[in-house]
Amino acid sequence: MTTAPRIDTDAVRPVEPGPAPAAPPTASRLKPESFTAGIKAVVGLVGLFAIWELAVFIFDFPKYLLVGPISAFEELFTNPGYFAVNALTTLQEGLAGFALGTALGVLCGALLYYASFLRPFLYPALIAIDTIPKVALAPLFIVWFGFGFESKAFVAMAIAFFPLVINTFDGLNSVPHELQDLARINRASKLKKMMKIDFIYALPSIFTGAKISISLAVGGAVVGEFIAGSKGLGYVILLANSQVDLPSMFAAFIVLAAIALLLFFIIDLISKKLLPWKNYTK
Amino acid sequence: MTTDYAISVNNVGKTYTSRDGQENVVLKGLDFHVNPGEFVSIVGQSGSGKTTLLNTISGLQEASEGEILIRGREISAALKDIGMVFQSPVLLPWRNNLDNVLLPLEFRDAVTSESKDHAMELLQMVGLGEKATRYSYELSGGMQQRVAICRALVSRPEILLMDEPFGALDAMTRDSMNFEIQRIWRRTGCSVLFVTHSISEAVWLADRVVVVGDRPGRIVADVKVDIERPRAKEHKFSENFASYVAEIESHIGVTAGIS
Repeated sequence: MTTAPRIDTDAVRPVEPGPAPAAPPTASRLKPESFTAGIKAVVGLVGLFAIWELAVFIFDFPKYLLVGPISAFEELFTNPGYFAVNALTTLQEGLAGFALGTALGVLCGALLYYASFLRPFLYPALIAIDTIPKVALAPLFIVWFGFGFESKAFVAMAIAFFPLVINTFDGLNSVPHELQDLARINRASKLKKMMKIDFIYALPSIFTGAKISISLAVGGAVVGEFIAGSKGLGYVILLANSQVDLPSMFAAFIVLAAIALLLFFIIDLISKKLLPWKNYTK
Repeated sequence: MTTDYAISVNNVGKTYTSRDGQENVVLKGLDFHVNPGEFVSIVGQSGSGKTTLLNTISGLQEASEGEILIRGREISAALKDIGMVFQSPVLLPWRNNLDNVLLPLEFRDAVTSESKDHAMELLQMVGLGEKATRYSYELSGGMQQRVAICRALVSRPEILLMDEPFGALDAMTRDSMNFEIQRIWRRTGCSVLFVTHSISEAVWLADRVVVVGDRPGRIVADVKVDIERPRAKEHKFSENFASYVAEIESHIGVTAGIS
């Protein structure tokens, strides 16, 4: 290709001295990168809402097909108590399932790693279990655990479980062989090696699994509420569906997204506090 | 009189059998000794089984034939006499440097206030006394490897095994680390077995250079290096030094390409 006349925007732009980009002294104390990242995230979110609202306005969707974020937020702020109570239910179910799934997942991942003789039996079985859509298990859990809190928590657990198995195993598996050798040369007991090297080494990977699982767990709770129940955001969505009340449905979506986002950032924050070295090595 | 040797490798062989039954002879008929307080380098091309040899001496791998005695005893009884330095420092990023040095003693439930002082002395010896409470990610590669050396020395081993410890460092850092290890060795008086693929490094550091040949790994030469100590940088440019390097190169069978 021949060199096409290239418009060099930098050359065309007049060089202006412009105001010095001196940051105010207080801003330097905040982390500048995370600050601008936060602003960009908010801008992106507002932009999304704007496009959504604009699309609804321009294409003039009927109210039973799609409503804009403004009517969704209107609905949210006219009945804040209704959404808060049901959100709390879903949050509790999701968190309980997440906690159970994490505990069980880490345990299974560790078993998979340490009991290497069991691995050829255990691994295919785990994959087989994972291929069953958890949504399909929900009715079974209702039969087993009833219509209340427990069945939803167990659906959430079933979904949250697997990413933690894989990530715990991967984390343990990535411990450098030199550290294994060091432990062996010094005759470290298996327990000492686990506590002083393996698990701390695997923590970043375990947290990655937890970040994936937390939003899955909330989704699992909603699925449980779809199947049976009279509480929670899943129930709110189902009820709104039967009444063709789209503002209420979209309000529930927004609350769900907010919950998942909040939980994700909490886990992210904990991992940053707990694993400060990760900020340097990456 | 095997008990007179720090390390005694007697007719050691190592054979791996692959899944389809094929035998892969990695080491064959290795026979050499390391005297107490001696610094012995092992050179050879990559893939010649140097690391396997070191791993059998440290007890991480079992020899298929022959026997290895550490100060006249079986390896299993002698593990506490061995300190090991790997190619990468592999320090634990969540521990500060002092705690990294103390790790082997924690494994052995042997941390005392005396051993803490000893760990601190070691860090001071390598010039990192002021960095004791800092973390590995705050250190350069050379400094990290010095911490790893302290970690290997903290249990007061009589034998220090080093597996290409400076292979990942740049040339200048590597030179200064060579000085450092000479100084450490002279101060601690331990026997060192130092694996490297740099012939000049091997010659400059060692009392003896053991040359390991390829496929299967076997000893092709055992060269005594008669250069006075302590050695300085100038020794690298002496005729004497060059002739040692040339001799070892001829044993390895390369004419160029290895520094």
